Amino acid sequence: MADQADFERDAMQFAPQLYSAALRMTRNPADAEDVVQETYLKAYRAYGTFEAGTNLKAWLYRILTNTYINKYRKQQRRPSEVELGELQDLYLFKRLGEPSGSSMSAEETVLDEIVDVDVKQALESLPEHFRMPVLLADVEGFSYKEIAEILDIPIGTVMSRLHRGRKALQKKLWNLAEERGLTGQTQ
Amino acid sequence: MSTNGCGHAIEYIYNYLDEEITWTRRMRVRWHLRSCDHCCDAYEFETQLKAVVRSKGHDEPPPELVNRLRTLIEEQRGQQQPEN
Repeated sequence: MADQADFERDAMQFAPQLYSAALRMTRNPADAEDVVQETYLKAYRAYGTFEAGTNLKAWLYRILTNTYINKYRKQQRRPSEVELGELQDLYLFKRLGEPSGSSMSAEETVLDEIVDVDVKQALESLPEHFRMPVLLADVEGFSYKEIAEILDIPIGTVMSRLHRGRKALQKKLWNLAEERGLTGQTQ
Repeated sequence: MSTNGCGHAIEYIYNYLDEEITWTRRMRVRWHLRSCDHCCDAYEFETQLKAVVRSKGHDEPPPELVNRLRTLIEEQRGQQQPEN
């Protein structure tokens, strides 16, 4: 069992990452900080139950995710499984491979020109069920097993949501690139 | 362009890139990529895209965040003292 006196020493290093993830969840800096503060309070109180030597980062993300869900999911009474519709595999790669008449490879142009704002906007546009696995895997770098534990869902569900979420992310990135005229295709 | 194995390679592309794939499947994908330029390009693109999302999806916290969290925990500790 972990000692509460060690909490600050052990847990504070993860605060910047947790804040960044919270911001992608809440889409709002004030709410993100609220969620992180609540997470740290809960984690501090429960630190005696944390098994020292196990995955502290994943444990904190689990509390963060639950805090966010309890606080904000009540507000959105939409059906939890939002239909994304059927999207083709390799969405962005295939769209960029369509003939454009441009001499430079559209794949390279778009990869070079995608900016922070695009990525954040695309992530935040995903329905929550898909946003969480994509955020945890692609931005935070967690394994499927860790994500399954953080979100309390089976690994198979992690994989299918991740797969569909990434396609939806790519579609959004394509739309953003198109709006900025990066795809070399006339709209 | 080789179509033999493309379906398998594309189906497991994320498992491969995430390194969440069995050894047998990994070898089958790797073997296919040696002979299929199209799948190779796709894998290269997805690898780069994943790196872009990783590097651009973060935000810096407000500079006072950690101090505010420390204060919060100090307060909490203060409230717990009388019980001890």
